[in-house]
Amino acid sequence: MLFTLSRVLKFGIQNFFRNFWVTLATISVLIVTLVSVNILIILNVLGKVAMTEVQNRVDVSVHFKPEIEESRVQTVKIALLGMPEVRDVEYVSIDDAMKRFTAQFKGDDSIVAALGEVGKNPFGASLIVKARNIDDYPKIIAALGEPSYTNLIEEKNFENRQMMIGRVETVARKLQLFGFATSGLFLFLTLLIVLNTIRVSIYTRREEIGIMRLVGASDNFIRAPFYVEALLWSASSLILCFAIVWPAVQFGQPFLQRFFGTSTVDLLGFYTANFFMIFGTQFFAVCFLSLLTTKMATARYLKV
Amino acid sequence: MIRFKNVSKTYPPNTIGLQNVNVHIRPGEFVSIVGQSGTGKTTFAKLLIAEERPTRGQIVIGGWDISAIKSTEVPLLRRQIGVVFQDFKSLPRKTVYENVAFALEVCGASQKRIKNIVPQALKIVGLASKADRYPKHISGGEQQRMVIARALVHRPKIIVADEPTGNLDSLNTREIIDLLKKINAFGTTVVLVTHNREVVNELARRVITIDQGRIVSDQEEGKYLL
Repeated sequence: MLFTLSRVLKFGIQNFFRNFWVTLATISVLIVTLVSVNILIILNVLGKVAMTEVQNRVDVSVHFKPEIEESRVQTVKIALLGMPEVRDVEYVSIDDAMKRFTAQFKGDDSIVAALGEVGKNPFGASLIVKARNIDDYPKIIAALGEPSYTNLIEEKNFENRQMMIGRVETVARKLQLFGFATSGLFLFLTLLIVLNTIRVSIYTRREEIGIMRLVGASDNFIRAPFYVEALLWSASSLILCFAIVWPAVQFGQPFLQRFFGTSTVDLLGFYTANFFMIFGTQFFAVCFLSLLTTKMATARYLKV
Repeated sequence: MIRFKNVSKTYPPNTIGLQNVNVHIRPGEFVSIVGQSGTGKTTFAKLLIAEERPTRGQIVIGGWDISAIKSTEVPLLRRQIGVVFQDFKSLPRKTVYENVAFALEVCGASQKRIKNIVPQALKIVGLASKADRYPKHISGGEQQRMVIARALVHRPKIIVADEPTGNLDSLNTREIIDLLKKINAFGTTVVLVTHNREVVNELARRVITIDQGRIVSDQEEGKYLL
């Protein structure tokens, strides 16, 4: 048994190195497939980061009429905080609203001049409401639409942010779809290439296989080296894929953080924390795929 | 030892390989199967090693009915029958020793057993001094002797030689036939498929003549008839 196993391994390794260029082509396709899967994973992570970032920035700004007293605004704030959907409510006083406006348009002389012409603080107090969940905003907005509030409120803004969330969601979904389609295509190509590589390998070894059959080698002994070969392709492609993806993630991390304007984009941390999950799953998946294809190819082309 | 009972073999759509063949080959016999090309000699050999299955009839080897042998049992049968073909079927990247050892390696034999048996087989065929050479560095006759050594390593009860001298000159042909006679003298049944008139006539052993898939003659000390 041990002799048989060691010889199966020996023949499998021989196959792997014997058809060098075909092996190289097969491993290259497997690498492209694995890299495309990793791009899909990265897109997924980035999509989630983008969504979280946008969601964190979403709020409902409730601007009260300038004549409304602070105590009434505080009453509304307490009422809102009583809602289970509301995570936080920030009160912005009339003075704070003025300060924020002037700070925002500090360089714009015409706006500062226009504000001077008004002569007094034209702003009303406002409340910035954050929901626990993005889906809770419609409920909060509906609550603010009640008659007891409408005569206090001058303006509520939420619509524009909703559009932004919608857009981010659409882009993330499209990117994911594109990623799936690309990975699917590479997967199909991988199947074809592996199938044909085994076919070439069988052709190259046809005399040896013929002799094996004549001298009484078992079916399993003849087939097994092709499975060893497939496992070697899988392991090599995963190692090389890791050698590409890991430095790429390290290299790209600062650029992504700059692009998203936040340090919450931590791809490297994500890969480190989920190393065995990510590469382990990919290893088992690529092994399963290549072994399945080998089974198909040997069943079709290897007559024993 | 070998018994064919009403054996027929038809290849689709309706090409006849063998037709209603009845033959009994006893242990230790040296039998020549002769006939012109395409008469069914090779079909006879292929049926013996279960390369083909009969369309009708029964083939029994050593009490084992191989007419409907399972594919998983074929390797066991082939370890009991040594096969030699016209094309030497050697592995060019392996030495003579490795070519012979290959038959044992692929059947799971231990290294100790290989080291014990292979030199003996090479000695029987007279290639002990050329064990380290590659097939391209030895003659056609020597290559065929190497193949016979490979067929001997399982210590088979039967040797099936299908046109083993087809690619050889007269000198090498004589060497191969002498070797087969020597193996037969050790008690191994030899089934020689050939259309070489001189070889058959010189052997003066049992000759079965096949024509158009039928046995037309079976003589104990026969001659090449066709």
